[in-house]
Amino acid sequence: MISERVKSNLKQTFAESLLPKLGLVLLVSIVFMALFAPVLATHDPTRTGHYDEQGAPYPPLGHEYTAEIVQDGEIVEVPVEPTSEHILGTNNVGQDVYSRFLYGARISLLVGFLGTGIALLIGVPIGLIAGYYGGRVDDGLMRIADTMLAFPALVLALALLGVFGQSSIHVPDPLVIAGLADGMPESVPVPGTVIIVVALVTWVWFARVARGEALAIRNEEYVKAAKSFGTKDRTILRKHVLPNSLTPIIVLATIQVAAIILLEASLAYLGFSGTTLSWGYEIERGQGILRSRSWVSMVPGIGIVLTVISVNLLGDWLRDALDPNIEGEGR
Amino acid sequence: MTMGKFLVRRILQGIFVIWGVITVMFGLRAVSPGDPATLMLGEGATQELIERVREQEGLNEPIYIQYFEYLQGMVVGDFGYSWRSNREVEAMVIERVPATIELAVAATIVAIVIAIPLGVISATRRNEPADYGATLFSLLGISTPNFWLGLMLILVLGVWAGLFPTGRRPVGFGQAMMTLVQYGSVYDLLVWLQYITLPALTLGTYFTALITRLTRSGMVDELGKEYVMASRAKGLPAVLVRYKHVLRNTMIPIITVLGLQLGTLLGGAVITETVFNWPGLGLRLVDALGARDWPLMQGIIVFIAIAFVTINIVVDALYNYLNPQVREG
Amino acid sequence: MKIADNQKLDRRALLKLTGAAGTAGLASMAGCLDDPSADDDGEIDELTITLSQFPDTIDPLDHITGDFFDVYDHIYEPLFDFEPGEGIFPRVVDDWEIQEGEGATELYLRDDVVFHNGDDLTAEDVAWTINRTVDPEMGVISDIGSFGLGSIEGAEALDETTVSVEYGAAPGLAEFEFGNYARALDMQWAIDNHDAENEAISGADPEDFNGTGPYEVVDFTSGEEIVLERFDDYWGDEPPFETVIFNADGESNGRVNSLRTDATDLTINILPEDVSTVRNADDIEIRRVTSFRNIFCPMKNTVEPFDSQEFRQAMNYAVDNEGIASSVLSGYGEARGQPIAPGINGFNDEIEPYEQDVSMAESLVEESGYGGVEIELTVPQGRYLNDAEVGETVADQIDQLENVSCEANIVEFGTVSDANSAGVDPDVIEIPFYLIGWGTITGDTDYGVQGFFTIPDNEARTFDDEELSDAILESQQIEDPDERRQQLEEVNRLAHEKAPFLFLHTQESIYGVREQIEWEPREDESVFIWDME
Repeated sequence: MISERVKSNLKQTFAESLLPKLGLVLLVSIVFMALFAPVLATHDPTRTGHYDEQGAPYPPLGHEYTAEIVQDGEIVEVPVEPTSEHILGTNNVGQDVYSRFLYGARISLLVGFLGTGIALLIGVPIGLIAGYYGGRVDDGLMRIADTMLAFPALVLALALLGVFGQSSIHVPDPLVIAGLADGMPESVPVPGTVIIVVALVTWVWFARVARGEALAIRNEEYVKAAKSFGTKDRTILRKHVLPNSLTPIIVLATIQVAAIILLEASLAYLGFSGTTLSWGYEIERGQGILRSRSWVSMVPGIGIVLTVISVNLLGDWLRDALDPNIEGEGR
Repeated sequence: MTMGKFLVRRILQGIFVIWGVITVMFGLRAVSPGDPATLMLGEGATQELIERVREQEGLNEPIYIQYFEYLQGMVVGDFGYSWRSNREVEAMVIERVPATIELAVAATIVAIVIAIPLGVISATRRNEPADYGATLFSLLGISTPNFWLGLMLILVLGVWAGLFPTGRRPVGFGQAMMTLVQYGSVYDLLVWLQYITLPALTLGTYFTALITRLTRSGMVDELGKEYVMASRAKGLPAVLVRYKHVLRNTMIPIITVLGLQLGTLLGGAVITETVFNWPGLGLRLVDALGARDWPLMQGIIVFIAIAFVTINIVVDALYNYLNPQVREG
Repeated sequence: MKIADNQKLDRRALLKLTGAAGTAGLASMAGCLDDPSADDDGEIDELTITLSQFPDTIDPLDHITGDFFDVYDHIYEPLFDFEPGEGIFPRVVDDWEIQEGEGATELYLRDDVVFHNGDDLTAEDVAWTINRTVDPEMGVISDIGSFGLGSIEGAEALDETTVSVEYGAAPGLAEFEFGNYARALDMQWAIDNHDAENEAISGADPEDFNGTGPYEVVDFTSGEEIVLERFDDYWGDEPPFETVIFNADGESNGRVNSLRTDATDLTINILPEDVSTVRNADDIEIRRVTSFRNIFCPMKNTVEPFDSQEFRQAMNYAVDNEGIASSVLSGYGEARGQPIAPGINGFNDEIEPYEQDVSMAESLVEESGYGGVEIELTVPQGRYLNDAEVGETVADQIDQLENVSCEANIVEFGTVSDANSAGVDPDVIEIPFYLIGWGTITGDTDYGVQGFFTIPDNEARTFDDEELSDAILESQQIEDPDERRQQLEEVNRLAHEKAPFLFLHTQESIYGVREQIEWEPREDESVFIWDME
């Protein structure tokens, strides 16, 4: 499966460079944040109405601003002070920005990893079968792949969401049920349609890579030998073809996690998220108030950038360490 | 395979792909919820009106008849009428193409102009501060969602520094050129430049990062190859070696990747146009989606698919030309 | 183009000058790229207006969108002048007379009105336009027919300048309707430009527009801008600006930016968050007015749990309208407890908004028998003042009730608009509870309640209640204005009590305007250039 040589390669590259370590630390912290969001959060992220006494949202600590509001028919300017209750301030509906930041990590990671997982489950078998058998099956697959790739992923996802609508499934939050986080939402919205849609627009990449691997492997001597002994195709695929194609698929999967997190953010930004807890949605929410309350857009954006960077750093590490295999196939 | 045969094959494949796109779009429309007649009429439509529209639009016909009529229309370039504005979809698509091309070309120029020197510097000064800087930049570039980048550019360069205007652009490139020709004034051209700078940077950053990375890794590979060592040994000036031979060989994978990433560029344009209210095809697509104006939405997507397939064929041909081994493979 | 005749330094002329001056001046131009057309000699002869949506059709009857009328009213002028709270005044129609007991009014047209293409306006044009709007057999399919001209049955030309308009309701109500929505199209032109395949009047060239208004179209770039110039043969007073340009920007801060950089002179629908930008800039200012537009959440009473009056009232008690108006809307709204806004004929002064009372709401929910129910509020985004934010707050406040959980689902406006016209058949309803706004722009309660609550011939109603429906139908037949007003006040009281909506607020219209322009915003959201100076 994964050879000793590859393992030592991975270790060596990890030890040599600072970047993969940084990526790992970042990703682990973000996963930690996401997992324990209910415990770490200071407020229910969906609870509205945290305004100062004049009805203006709080700025982050160390920052103040002037709000303009109508009082008795006149526009007046009022200074707004931060409060230690809301360390990153509140947004335009008076929700706690820090708590939403934590919960937003959950949505990004959920969509990123689940979406990639589903894409993998669809794409890899199809690709392996197409590559292994070749012929018509393969031709058909390649044409479908071409068609899919003729849409920008974002555009296809938008069209699909237009058809399926955007609904989310509420999954009970174990931490809240266990009584560890009082006053937090009892369930987490999992944007189901978005996850399926991102998988539907990205599985082709996995199919293409898996196909390429299968094409190369099926002519190897040991596969031919296995065939001549009468081993079933299914067994060959599972025992020989799949394990040997694993490395490029893993590398691709990392790239796709990052790509899907960005895609989800874009969809949410355009209003197709299925939940308001998404970072992308929060950025859109802050767009209209960018001038006066820039923190509303800035905080979730930093969340996305850090998450994607962490995944990309790990992806770079995997690619560098496993590189020879991919390159060998590519040329 | 000869170049001609290659092209014929690719074009046939392309037509198949476009047919696929048209069919998928039709399928999506057919399964999408909501009665098209209601969608067309919007608020307060009476049952009577709805029935009349259904009849008019052929929505009462069997689905396969609708499909063939739709396909027939597409073949002769009749994309139908927008439900929202009653205008011909072809016209509504075509009039928005220039703005998107302006943006895409500007972004590509930004990307190439910044990325290739950056990649070269990075590759030739490996593990020096310049290299670290370039690596960090490209890491950030591929990890930042472009709509957020756009907003931050608006905030920092537009609002805080006041360097760039951020509203709706007052002139297009075409009009700016007209002004130049008619009045000999570059005023409109300068305005246009001011307005396109932030969107082009926004859309271009991801590609800048990507090409920087590709250039760097490509050059690192090439610099390690024997012919470079040999030319150095022969005493050819280092600069010449670096740019002429190495860069040319590095260009091949870059062109391929750019071709492959065209979808990303167009997808990015959709979002960038939304952020900057840039009057291109992407903004119109988002509007059409919002209004659920199916004929317009289909028209735009089919157009994008055609453009994408065409450009890919061109890129393939170019690649083929630059790198003859592919043809045998 | 006629710009060359113009003495004022306009944009093109200035471009010529800068061109002639050579490149020396250009460096400085690039430094401050202000539009030279907004020259500071006190007078502006070119006015630019930035809307939030761009009209993409040449047919003024095709849509009932306010932004579109802001453009069309100047090209295809209304037949009457309408003053909110006062009634209708002569314009193209010089005088009119109610034909007592006949269900008709005769309109007497001016005889000196011409279309931009040179054709004379005749009674036949007016009659044809009205018929085309209200008769689905012969023309345009639009909300203007079913909503705007709801009680109008048809029109007939009696002679060159007399039109008889027939209706099925009290003359006072019909007057509000044709007074607002009647236009005149050139019949021959419309027929010539009629695109049979598309069943619409279509075209995208400047000449394709053809009305009798004080401005004619000289340039049209679809989706971007439409340029109007004074129509030389206009029958009435010369309007204040030679050239008027309309464009659109979907984002409030984009519109404000255009205003700030002199790219536009007047813009509509500014969000509270952008008000300070305008106030802090030189020579532009904010002008605002409480509009005729109410924001509320209809609850369709043919499905659970909204079939219970207690439950619907509970929703009203759960929400803090005042708080939403002062925080989410920064004060740019007034809490409301009836379907229509103050200043509208039939507004009931005695009805106060529901005040937030959580324990009352909770006990009403218990009474209704729907304790523990889960509901969803569907909310549009970008259509009304901070709509998504208002909806999210409303949903959260309902969610805070012990015995109801509620979530906001934020969608495109189209979805909400479909839900609103989907009717009350329980098998069809997918979205029974949503946030929407309604501008009662005719200035009469009927326009704000009829489409939502009346039962006969109204598939698109949102509420199914005989008593409320009958009260409205009764008001439509009352000829005496005072008596009718009292009945409408009763309709509003009944609506408050029956709670067909979760009542929210009346929103303010906020405009950004260049200081030199003398103009006061109107409650009905119309922007008339002829009101400016």
